[in-house]
Amino acid sequence: MSRTLEVFSVPLMFLAVTLLGGLRIADRVLFVRPPLSALVLAVLLVIALVRCGALAPERLMHPARSPLQNASGAAVLTTMFAATVQAFNSVMPEFGLPRLIVLVFLFVLLLNTIAAATDRTHVLRSTAVIFGSMFVLKFIVLAALSDPAGGWLKRVLLATLEAVTLGTLTQKPLAPSTGYVAFCALALYVAGLALLPRRLAGRGSALLTVER
Amino acid sequence: MRDEAVRAIGLALTVCGFAGIVWVYAHQPQTLAEATGALSATVGVYRIDDQSFSDGLRFFRGDEFAAARLAFERADAAHQDPRTQFYIAYSYYREGWGRLYVDKDLFARGLDAVNRAIAAAPNGRVIVEDPTLQMRSGDELKAELQSGLQGRTDINPLTIVRRQRK
Repeated sequence: MSRTLEVFSVPLMFLAVTLLGGLRIADRVLFVRPPLSALVLAVLLVIALVRCGALAPERLMHPARSPLQNASGAAVLTTMFAATVQAFNSVMPEFGLPRLIVLVFLFVLLLNTIAAATDRTHVLRSTAVIFGSMFVLKFIVLAALSDPAGGWLKRVLLATLEAVTLGTLTQKPLAPSTGYVAFCALALYVAGLALLPRRLAGRGSALLTVER
Repeated sequence: MRDEAVRAIGLALTVCGFAGIVWVYAHQPQTLAEATGALSATVGVYRIDDQSFSDGLRFFRGDEFAAARLAFERADAAHQDPRTQFYIAYSYYREGWGRLYVDKDLFARGLDAVNRAIAAAPNGRVIVEDPTLQMRSGDELKAELQSGLQGRTDINPLTIVRRQRK
């Protein structure tokens, strides 16, 4: 990882994701604080990234590096974690049954990714697919269902679905610009993950290093 | 440039950016004016537009509440001045109060404004020494607005016995 990437580009990209991840535009602008569940999911994703070698924390913080180098490495790790939390905050439905289903699904998916311990490319690709599909679910499918405009057929279908799900399906309508902002934030986040220092070939997993 | 200098600049940028994001999430600014106003209030250099405030006060005393609010908004675009927010809340109260009903929408907006005034005031204590007002503290105004919002409907003939606190 070059010095410019480590010191400027990657932290600033992750900071942008941290800022934009909680932005919701409706009748007013809201910066939604991340729920506790987003923190748990972020921890799981970071563990998965470290295990697969997509992130090598020892290349950012190490006794052989100077204190200032370690501090900038810590800044990369901190901003990466904050951006991960906000990326989850951005794609999780706001409340109700969809939120519960997405939470359980992501939790199981991330545990499975950690257990499978696949390689860097697969985990990065899987991360992009997870965030992409959650984005489509929240900003396209659920947004269309929650849109107050629509014909009588849509209203009848929606009323039926609402009855089945005890009124927990529809979400608070957001302005379309929220979706565009979330898309940019997620694209930045995935690009930032790809720029992180990876584990060099021939070294063990950072979480399973065995001293010889 | 030396490695240490570059890293120090990058670190400072990151720390400032992170602090800025925490501040934004804590203060929830709605506009750029609110963001800059709240920042300047934090460091104690925020000033309202006195001319617009005087205009607002003149309209308020002439019972032209909508015009008064426009002038007050111009005077305190960042919503950081307790006195201006207090007058905005008062204008909503006076306009929303009726002999047989209260306009709950206006009262709710008034409550928002008085809450902003209380939040912006030192120790949350808003006192406006204006002899033309019957209520001179944020607490009185807030209580009055809250009691107006408690009824189930806007129209309530029982309120005929209540007096407006001008």
